[in-house]
Amino acid sequence: MRTRTPALRWSGIVLVLLWSLIPVYWAVKTSIQTEADARSSPAQYVPTRPTLDNYRALLTGSGDVPEQIRRASLNIVIECGLATIVTVVLATLAAYAFARMHFRGRNLLFYALLATMAFPAYTTLIPLYRIMSSLGLVNTYTGIVLVYVSGFLPLATWILHNYFASLPVSIEEAGLVDGAHRLQVLWHLLLPLARPGIISTALITFLFAWAQFLFPLVLSSDISTQPLTVVIASLQGRHVVPSTLLNAAGVLAIAVPAALALIFNRYIVNGLLAGSTK
Amino acid sequence: MPKQGSAPAARAALSRRSALAGATAVLLSAGCGGGSGASSGGSTQTSGVTITVALAGDPLPQAALDTFTQDTGITVKWVNLDWDSLQTKISAAATANTYFADATNVDWSRVGQLGRLGWFYPMESYLDTDAMAEDVPQLASFSTDGHVVGIPYDASFMVTTINVDMFTAAGVDPAPATIEEYTEALRQIKARGIVEHPLNIPFAAAEGLSTYWYETTAAFGGSVLDENGEAQFTDPDSGGYRAAEWMVGALTEGLVAPGSINVTDSQGQQTLMAQGQVASTFSDYSGTVGTLYDVPASSTVVGKVRYLPTPGVDGPAANLSNPDGIGIPKQAKYPDAAAKFIEWFTSQQQQTDFAGVNGPEKAYTGYPIPSRLSAVQAMTSGGNLVQGDALIPMLEKSRPVFEGGAPTWYPEFSNAVYTNLHAAATGSMSVQAAMEGVADKAEQLASGS
Repeated sequence: MRTRTPALRWSGIVLVLLWSLIPVYWAVKTSIQTEADARSSPAQYVPTRPTLDNYRALLTGSGDVPEQIRRASLNIVIECGLATIVTVVLATLAAYAFARMHFRGRNLLFYALLATMAFPAYTTLIPLYRIMSSLGLVNTYTGIVLVYVSGFLPLATWILHNYFASLPVSIEEAGLVDGAHRLQVLWHLLLPLARPGIISTALITFLFAWAQFLFPLVLSSDISTQPLTVVIASLQGRHVVPSTLLNAAGVLAIAVPAALALIFNRYIVNGLLAGSTK
Repeated sequence: MPKQGSAPAARAALSRRSALAGATAVLLSAGCGGGSGASSGGSTQTSGVTITVALAGDPLPQAALDTFTQDTGITVKWVNLDWDSLQTKISAAATANTYFADATNVDWSRVGQLGRLGWFYPMESYLDTDAMAEDVPQLASFSTDGHVVGIPYDASFMVTTINVDMFTAAGVDPAPATIEEYTEALRQIKARGIVEHPLNIPFAAAEGLSTYWYETTAAFGGSVLDENGEAQFTDPDSGGYRAAEWMVGALTEGLVAPGSINVTDSQGQQTLMAQGQVASTFSDYSGTVGTLYDVPASSTVVGKVRYLPTPGVDGPAANLSNPDGIGIPKQAKYPDAAAKFIEWFTSQQQQTDFAGVNGPEKAYTGYPIPSRLSAVQAMTSGGNLVQGDALIPMLEKSRPVFEGGAPTWYPEFSNAVYTNLHAAATGSMSVQAAMEGVADKAEQLASGS
């Protein structure tokens, strides 16, 4: 039995990897094929004449589709970037307060905040849509970013709270004894120590924001604010978009989060595990 | 356009409906008692305004839109979203009583739901729909509770396609008129070894299977639901029951490939029919000969496939409609201006332009078959519609899938149809159990429990 275990384990790993990576491979493969090759029968499992023309067309070409993809790429970067910055700033302050300050109702507020994570996203969609509409924020960056922040703030606060809670109180007390006020202690002492947690939180927030579809779909009305996820889906409804170009757009859409996840894998795992062990 | 009239769009449109059900159901439940059906009291202004038209398709040719603006003073802002996303937007906007477009998609399968919820203005208040009915046969699919929820802007209906070469090679009549003759012809094709599995039925548990059964049910002289939403297919002599038996029997007999159990309607068309691996699709989509089978890039059967009047019990059966339309949501800012746009968009003149009859510069990319008979006739006589002569009588006689309009609970019903039929095809339940399962679900849904 002992000798079989590694084989079984590796079989499982290979199976899961294949299951996850084959669709990605297929998208990448199609994105570097011509339309004729991509549609050939029998299917080409490996491109015989790889080309970057689809990426060139998307990134530098003229026409409706490339322009929409470029604009949507800009939109998603702006929306995710702003949402990440605002979320991390607010979460840092909130997490510090919940971890270190003593005030009436602290635990109640903290758990109430965490409880909002249990709400299915759909249940907040319509109220948020109405609020944004009444504020005139539908189809604006502000509206989308505010909704992202409201959605991701609880998780970000929780992650950072666990980080702050794991730091020695003595450091903070030493700062206070030396005459620093709380914000100075937070800025000069705790934030440098909590930097891994902040990076983790920023990454997780950014990746979650990047994957959003339903909320930006509802809250955006046209290409001025639609992110890449929404625009790529909308291209399905068009007759003139080659599948190779669509796949190239899809690969671009996953390239950024994939790169971040691969490069900062350690931070993401640490962030999600923060506070899980003493 | 996201049309069933063309194969690529058809596969997309049909496979989406069940996916839509979840999001829509949540949105509906969120909106119950809320803004549903509430009107924002849009402006009656019809000049000097900009309206938003949201459809799942490319923008209309700019020259056409410019002409419309010159003639009416109405500027059109076109928003293109995929079909699923658009339905979600429609539901979210109506539920939140929030404006998102002045004119948008009304799909045949959602007519009952939209009519009951009152999310769209009745089109008869804006256009002479009675006069329009004669030239737009599929308008009937958009009527519910005495109101017209949307106007079809193209035609889509289920048709039978056959590979004439295969029928001829087997020495059988390439124009069987009854389903008995048709089935026998398929048996001969199989027996002569022309192809091993001559019939294409997409048995995967997906919307395409439901649609196929509806058409086959009609061919057997039955209907799926009556006007009260009651199941009409539990009696073994009913059309629906016999249709299910015929479909499952074709699989058991080997007329349908065993692998079809996992084949969707789009795969069935694109791989099996277009690559000459089957001889016929009983419930195909109107327009596929021109948009798929006669296109060398996607087909090896160019010039070999033609439409067959759908074989019925005693002769050709009616073809069922599944078109998309356009309507005015209650939150529209400029409903009167939107109505003017819809009138123009669905006019005979524009439809012939969009269909390419008056030159490629006026053609609308991906526009399959006009909803107006007069435009289809012009398209056919101009040589712009492949086998238009065969399609015209089918369009004329096409009828709604549900005589009383698609029920509000259509997505759940369709789910029950394809789940049970798929199970019957796999042999995990009998046809009788499948039909009873679907009927039970229909009863449960109709009673609101």
